[in-house]
Amino acid sequence: MSRPFRHVGRSLPRVEDPELLRGRARFLDDVRLPGQLDVAFVRSPYAHARIVDVRADAAGGHDGVALVVTGADLGDAPEIVTTSARPEAGTWRRPLLARDRVRYVGEPVAAVVASSRYAAEDACELVEVDYEPLDAVVDPEQALEPGAPLLHETNGSNNFAHIEFERGDVDKAFERAAHVVAKRFHFGRTHAAPLEGRGGIADWSRDLTLWSSTQMPFLVRSMLAALYELPQTRVRVLVPGVGGGFGLKVHLYVEEAILPLLSRLAGAPVKWHEDRYEHLAASGHSKEVVCKLELALDEDGTFLALRGHLIGDGGAHQGHPWTSLIDPLCAASMLPGIYDVPAIRYEVDAAATNKCPSTAYRGVGWTSGHAAREVLIDDAARLLGVDPLELRLRNCLPDGEPAVSATGCRYDGGSYAESIRRARDLVGYEAFRERQARLREEGRYVGVGFSPFVEQGGWASQVAADMGFPNAGYLDSVCVTVEPDGSVTLTTGLQSNGQGHATVLAQLAADGLGVLPENVRVVQGDTATGAYSTGSWGSRTAVIAGGSVLRATEDVRQKLLQIAANELEASVDDLELEDGTVAVRGSPHRRLAVAEVAAAAYAGRAPEGVDPALTATRSYDPPATYSNACIACVVEVDAETGRVTVERIVAVEDCGTVLNPLLVDGQVAGAIAQGVGAVLYEGLPYADDGQFLAGSLSEFLYPTAPELPDVEVEHLVTPSPVTEGGIKGMGEGGLIGAPAAVVNAIADALAPFGVSLDRTPLRPCDVLAAVDAAGSRVSVGT
Amino acid sequence: MPEPRVVTMTVDGRTRTGTAEPRLLLSDFLRHELGLTGVHVGCEQGGCGACSVRIDGRLVLSCLTLALQAEGATIQTVESLAGSGELHPIQRAFQARHGLQCGFCTPGMLLAAQVLLEETPDPTDEQIREHLSGNVCRCTGYTGIVASVREAARLLREEGP
Repeated sequence: MSRPFRHVGRSLPRVEDPELLRGRARFLDDVRLPGQLDVAFVRSPYAHARIVDVRADAAGGHDGVALVVTGADLGDAPEIVTTSARPEAGTWRRPLLARDRVRYVGEPVAAVVASSRYAAEDACELVEVDYEPLDAVVDPEQALEPGAPLLHETNGSNNFAHIEFERGDVDKAFERAAHVVAKRFHFGRTHAAPLEGRGGIADWSRDLTLWSSTQMPFLVRSMLAALYELPQTRVRVLVPGVGGGFGLKVHLYVEEAILPLLSRLAGAPVKWHEDRYEHLAASGHSKEVVCKLELALDEDGTFLALRGHLIGDGGAHQGHPWTSLIDPLCAASMLPGIYDVPAIRYEVDAAATNKCPSTAYRGVGWTSGHAAREVLIDDAARLLGVDPLELRLRNCLPDGEPAVSATGCRYDGGSYAESIRRARDLVGYEAFRERQARLREEGRYVGVGFSPFVEQGGWASQVAADMGFPNAGYLDSVCVTVEPDGSVTLTTGLQSNGQGHATVLAQLAADGLGVLPENVRVVQGDTATGAYSTGSWGSRTAVIAGGSVLRATEDVRQKLLQIAANELEASVDDLELEDGTVAVRGSPHRRLAVAEVAAAAYAGRAPEGVDPALTATRSYDPPATYSNACIACVVEVDAETGRVTVERIVAVEDCGTVLNPLLVDGQVAGAIAQGVGAVLYEGLPYADDGQFLAGSLSEFLYPTAPELPDVEVEHLVTPSPVTEGGIKGMGEGGLIGAPAAVVNAIADALAPFGVSLDRTPLRPCDVLAAVDAAGSRVSVGT
Repeated sequence: MPEPRVVTMTVDGRTRTGTAEPRLLLSDFLRHELGLTGVHVGCEQGGCGACSVRIDGRLVLSCLTLALQAEGATIQTVESLAGSGELHPIQRAFQARHGLQCGFCTPGMLLAAQVLLEETPDPTDEQIREHLSGNVCRCTGYTGIVASVREAARLLREEGP
C-alpha cells in the first residue's frame, strides 16, 4: 500500500472483548443441538499391549447408551494415512480406534455414545478389555537402536524419517578450529495446554456438519471429506470461539475424525469434548528433541561451523497432517539462528516411542534447537573467557541486510545486534554484574540469560522450503465486500484462537479501503461462507491475511473510486478516499460517502467496463520473512532448594510493521510465559514402563500469576522489504526464545558451582541434581 | 442411580429451579440446566479457576461443588457483572489493558478480581498476583491481567462500583 497507514499501528481495543467479558461468547461446549448425544472414550491404561479381547455388552445395555463402538467394529472404516512432503518420510497409518494393539497410555480403544457425558462415562467403566502387556520404549534414542520394541510392524522401523543435510566444508572447519564445544541438550516434552481442550460435534445426515475447536476449518473439511470420500461441498466445518490453540488445534485427531462415523451410526448429532485427563495424556505433546550440537570456533571466537544431530520423540503415531518432523527438522533448519555460520551439517531422526503422539505447539522445533544452540554459546563463552553478549555480537549477521543462512533460510533483514544491545541496556548489564558479584559474597545466586533469535513469519510456500519442506504449498485468501449501506464484510478461513483477528484485520481493511475500522466486520469460522485458507498457525495470519486484505481492499477501492468518479463526474485521479468519504481533491464540497457509492453500485450504476459488484477475493503467498528479537531473563536461584525465582523478563522485539502494539505486546508476554513454564514448571514425565505421570493439574503445573513478573516489551521496527505492508509475523517468538534465556540465566546464576545445564524442564529437583553433579567434577566449564 | 431432585437457587438476581442428580456438578447444572454458558469448565479438577462463581459472595470453584449443595444459595456468575447494560468497570479495564485473549479464563478471572477489589480497593501488584493464583490464564502471561486489575481498581475508586 502506497498511502500511509492511519489505523494500522494503533492500539485499538479489541472488538472481540465485550462478548467474552459478558460471558456471552460461544465456545464449542456451549453449542447443543436438538437430539444431541455425548461421546466418551475407553482409553488404554498400558503404554504398549496387545488387545486380546474387548467385551462391550454390559456397556451397551447401560441406561442411556445408544452405541458402543470398538476397534473390532470398525470393519472397513477409513484409516488416517499420514506422510510428509519430505521424500525420506514413511507413510504411516492409524485406525480410528486401536484395533489389535495399544501404543500409548490414553489411546482410544472404544467409543461410547450416550444421552449425556455422565452416562457415557458410566458405560465406559463397563467395557472390559483384556490386554497382554508388551515391552515399551520411552526414550527416543533407545527407540532407534536395533532390538528396540517395534511400535508399528508394518512400518518396519521406529524411525519416521532420517534426513541429512550439509553445506560448506564442515569437517575441514572442525579440523582447523581452535576450540570445539559440544553439548547433548534434551529439550523435554511440553504441552500447549490451552484452557479449552479439544472437541467436536458431528451431525451427518445428508450432509456432514462438524463444529470443531480448530485453528484451520478448511483443512479439517478437506481431511474429513477425503477420509469419508465426500465432495467438499457436502462437508461444512463451523468453528465457534476457540479457547486457545497454540498449535495443538492444527491437527485432525482420531477422536474428532471418528465423530462423523458415530453420528451416522447413532442417527443423531454427537458431541465429544475432552476432559483435562484426556487432554494431558492423549491430545498432543510437543517439542521433545534430543539435540546433539558441536560448534567450531577460531582463536577469536568466530564461529566456523556447526554440526547437529536432532532426534525428535514423535510418540506413538504421526500427527495429522503435520508429522513429528515439525520438531526435529524445524530445529535443524534454524540452527544458525542470527549468526553467520559458514558451514553446517545436520542429521534428523523422528523416533516413535510409546508416548502420546507429538503435535505442533507454538514455535515447534525452533524452540528446542534454539535453546540448545544458545546454551552451547554460553558454554563457549565460559570456555573462552569471553562475555556471552560479546561472543554473540561478534558472530551475528549485520543489521538491516537480507541474508541467506547456511541452511538456506532467506532472512529479509532485521535488528539482530541492535536488539541484543537494547536488551543489555534495559537489563542494566554492567550494574547487574556488580550486583551479582555482591550477592554472591552473601551466598545468593542471581543470573542473567540472553536469547536473541529470528522467527519465521507467515508460514507459506517459501518459508516451508526454508524449513526443509520444499514441496509444500499453500493457498490462503480473504474476501472483502462493501455492503449496500457502505459497511464492509471481510470473510476468511483463517481462524482466530484468541489473537484478535477481528480487530487487526479490520484495521488493515480500513486502511486498505479508506474507511473506519468500526465499519468493518470480520467473519470467520464457517467453511460455507469463508474464503479458502489453510488456517492460523505458524505466525501466518498477520502476514498472509494481512497481505490478502491489502490486495483485496485495493481491488475494491479502485471500483469504489471508479463508480464515485462516474457519480461525481470527476476523474479517478482527482479523487481521495479516506475515513469513508470520497472527495474531489481541491473541491471538498464535491464528495460522496462510501454508503452513497455503494448505493449506486447496488443499483447497478457503474461506468462502462466496471463490474459494480463491490467484492474481491484475493490470496497471498508471501516470500520468506523473519522477525527477530532478544529476550533477557534475570533469575535468582536458591542453591539449597533448587527453587528459581524469575525477577525480570525483557523482550526487545522487531516484527517489522506493527499492526496493533497492544496485541503484539500481549502475544509476546503470553508466549514468554509459556517458555518460562516449559523450563520451570511444566513437565510430562513417563515412567520407564511408559506409564504417564502427569494426568492432572496437580502434576502438570501451569505458571500462575505469582510465578511471573511483568514482561517488559520494547519494539524495534525493521519493516520487511519483501512482504505486503512490511509485515513479518510474530506469534511464536516468545516461546522460541524464552526457554534459552531462562536456562542461561540459571546457568549464569550457578556459574560459581561450574554447573552445566543440559535439559528442560529444570524443576527444583533438576537444578539441585545439576549442582550436585557439578560438585563432583574436577574442572569447571568443560 | 439416585433419582434427580429439584433444586432452587438465586442466580444473577433471579430465582432459578432445575433438576439435578445428586452427583451433578454445579458447573454442569449452571451450564446445561440453566444455560449459563458464561461459566467455563477448564479442568474439572479444581486446578484452573475458569469455573469460578460467587456463592453468597465467596469465590467458589463450581466444578468442585455439587448442584445440590447450592440449594437456596445466592450465586453470581460473570453475567451478573454487567447484566444487559454497560460493561462493569472491571470489564472495561480488561478490555482497555488487554487482560484477555481467547477469553476462556476470563469469567473466573473477572469474578476473582471483583472479590479482591471489594476486600482490597488499592492492591499492590504482589497482592493482585497472589490473589489470582487460583486462576490460570494460558494466553496473556498475566502481564495484561495485572495491568487490567490495577486499572479496574483505579476506575472503581473514581467511579464507585
